[in-house]
Amino acid sequence: MATCGLIFVATFSLEYLFFTDNFSIAYVVSHSNRDLSAFYKIAALWSGMEGSLLFWSFLLAVYVISVLIAYRNKNGELMPYVGMVMAGVQLFFLALNNFVESPFKALAASGANGAMNYVARADGNGLNALLQYPEMVIHPPNLYSGYTGFTIPFAFALGALLARYPGEKWIHLTRKWTMIAWMFQSLGILLGAHWAYAVLGWGGYWGWDPVENASLLPWLTGTAFLHSVMMQEKRGMMKVWNVWLVIWTFLLCLLGTFLTRSGVVSSVHAFAQSNIGPWFVGFMGLTLVVCFGAYLKNRDYLASENQLDSVVSRESSFLFNNLLFLVACIAVLSGTLFPVFSEWFTGSRISVGPPYFNRVNTPIGLLILFLTGVGPLLAWRKTSTESLKRNFGWPLIISVAVGAVAFALGFRAFFSVICLILCIFVASTILLEFYRGSKVIRARSGAPLAACVIDLTMRNTRRYGGYIIHMGMVFVFIGLTGAAFNRDIQKGMRVGQTMQIGPYTWVLQTTDTKPEKNYTAHRMLVEVLRDNKPMMMLFPEKRRFAGNNQENGTMVAIYSTLKEDLYVVFAGIDPETQMPVIHAFLNPLVKWIWFGGVVVVFGTLVALLPNRRAVLVLAGSPKPAIEPLPNVLTPSVTLREGHD
Amino acid sequence: MTKGRPILAIATLMAVAALPLMVAPASGQQLSDRAKQVGHKFMCMCGCSQVLTECNHVGCSVSASMLKELNQSLATGGTEESITQAFLQEFGTQVYAEPPKSGFSLVAWVMPTFYLVVGALVVIFVISRWRKRPAIEPAARVSGTSHVSPELLQRSREQAARDTED
Repeated sequence: MATCGLIFVATFSLEYLFFTDNFSIAYVVSHSNRDLSAFYKIAALWSGMEGSLLFWSFLLAVYVISVLIAYRNKNGELMPYVGMVMAGVQLFFLALNNFVESPFKALAASGANGAMNYVARADGNGLNALLQYPEMVIHPPNLYSGYTGFTIPFAFALGALLARYPGEKWIHLTRKWTMIAWMFQSLGILLGAHWAYAVLGWGGYWGWDPVENASLLPWLTGTAFLHSVMMQEKRGMMKVWNVWLVIWTFLLCLLGTFLTRSGVVSSVHAFAQSNIGPWFVGFMGLTLVVCFGAYLKNRDYLASENQLDSVVSRESSFLFNNLLFLVACIAVLSGTLFPVFSEWFTGSRISVGPPYFNRVNTPIGLLILFLTGVGPLLAWRKTSTESLKRNFGWPLIISVAVGAVAFALGFRAFFSVICLILCIFVASTILLEFYRGSKVIRARSGAPLAACVIDLTMRNTRRYGGYIIHMGMVFVFIGLTGAAFNRDIQKGMRVGQTMQIGPYTWVLQTTDTKPEKNYTAHRMLVEVLRDNKPMMMLFPEKRRFAGNNQENGTMVAIYSTLKEDLYVVFAGIDPETQMPVIHAFLNPLVKWIWFGGVVVVFGTLVALLPNRRAVLVLAGSPKPAIEPLPNVLTPSVTLREGHD
Repeated sequence: MTKGRPILAIATLMAVAALPLMVAPASGQQLSDRAKQVGHKFMCMCGCSQVLTECNHVGCSVSASMLKELNQSLATGGTEESITQAFLQEFGTQVYAEPPKSGFSLVAWVMPTFYLVVGALVVIFVISRWRKRPAIEPAARVSGTSHVSPELLQRSREQAARDTED
């Protein structure tokens, strides 16, 4: 607790130094200037290596305090071990902050007598231009909250292993924490993608850059973990697997940081690099040794009750789900590291760019999407043929019919057609599941269907929250499908000139320059016409920021609808012709990705809520006496189908 | 609402969602389709880490000269192979946007499939092993002298409660 308090003091002290323009501190000089707005002075905290490590410690401290408060008088056998693991991780980051990358180093210069004197600059270098965008104030905190959040399930897993604590219990205790970390990680990834889309100006949102990949790796294993824990909760299966899955998720968080901060792989997103690589390697090695030692010592306690009745069951779908997430993770990791490996083995560095990742991950993604639709509607233990027909009949007919229509209309992109069919299949299964459940409630209560849907969701938030998350992922996949049909044109234009993409005509109307407090904006006014009728004005601009760095930033103008994005970048001045260069894109369906992200977050929040009925029953009626079960260990009622 | 209406509504919703996908891709504006296709296989060597045809740096002399070379080569009957060789000599193996499917680079292509196949075999093996495991001894259920521990019984009850919740 005291450590956490001191970390808070350190973090707020650094922010105070930014807000008071204290240019005697090296970190403040490097990442701020007097004209920087207060909004971005907050973000300056994590814009460099030293500050981002302190911010990491800060977020971890928030999690640690929350866990300690939440379980202050509970789980007495487990919490000392959990606290010890959390403290160990915290200690590592504090060691980095104090001995390797301190954000509080003061500027000094040697005086006339050779003594070092503290000095202060008149102004700072300013914040990196790419970071001066609103999302940069919320994207890193979300992503870091995801990374640091996975420390909690890791601490519980390792603590439970050390304490030989019952498997179902630690899984139950950490479920919410894992979901919170996963939600932040998802949000962080999506905000990062949106930032790349709106700031980098290349018309895309995901370039398979090492930093992007590093954020995806723990998300993939974390997602696998969130699914496989249900096997342990419901059936007491996969105990060893779950422990190792959460350990690997934590290690991948560290590996991602190591990859992007050590310079092992180059990235356009790496804003902070230094020589902390060996520290991370050491800590990852130590973590692995401790985890492996604990596992060897106590592995007997992880003995599972693995027994399966049928191949067509929820358990099997979870196994394949985990396999696909793991393969995706390893494929992304090996692709990211392949340039390094190729240099080791052949002496020459072979690049692995987006085409490789797209080619490898598209089939895996589609298989995951397929399981998203199938898995939740399979029953535990065994699924009957009748149930398969009932749950998948209509969705299959609808999706194949739409696929056939798309094909008949000349839609030939293979993976896009498959993705479309699967999206419709999964969405149909989810919507039908909501409809069926709501219909039962409506038959009893007579309430409107919408109210019944809410009631149904609140009765089993975990199950229906999960469905909402799956629906969000369907929307994300619909958005990803659109990338196959992106179109763009780049052209040097004089005022009054036009260019055409699809049905849209782009006219450069005017250009001007406008000085703002911290930058000078060079603006274009581009009018968009459709069938010669004016539709809208778009204002892309280039910004020349103040500060010693004098960097350029891009502000993309986007008109976004569910159908398509009109995306225009003022790319710069052509050095040969001196004409402004406009790069315009027509990107179909991109908005579905952001919308899907919002739905995913909403679904996660729903899944975190307690079930409504359980609360009412416990509050309103005395606890019913437990009927003694006959000597049956495997309750037949678990054959109920369609359960979460 | 009749039974068929929600399904019709879902189908309509899905069809509306699918409509924008019917947009046919257009041909390239400045580069030919062939040039775009070939150019997509190389990285821009200016250090931007972007695919050659996607480098968005205005005045990027590297991508401009690479695209010019590519266009000229295609116009004079050059093949993808000859362009690749020319770029390799000029920039080295870092010019690849994706590893070639030969030599050591083949590892990058084989491994994901290898992981998937091996993983699938492992999953199938695990499933078949779990299926072969006998269910808990039925004799103990019917006999009057159950040797079931109270903890196990309690866990069964809890599991039943969990499994039967809505």
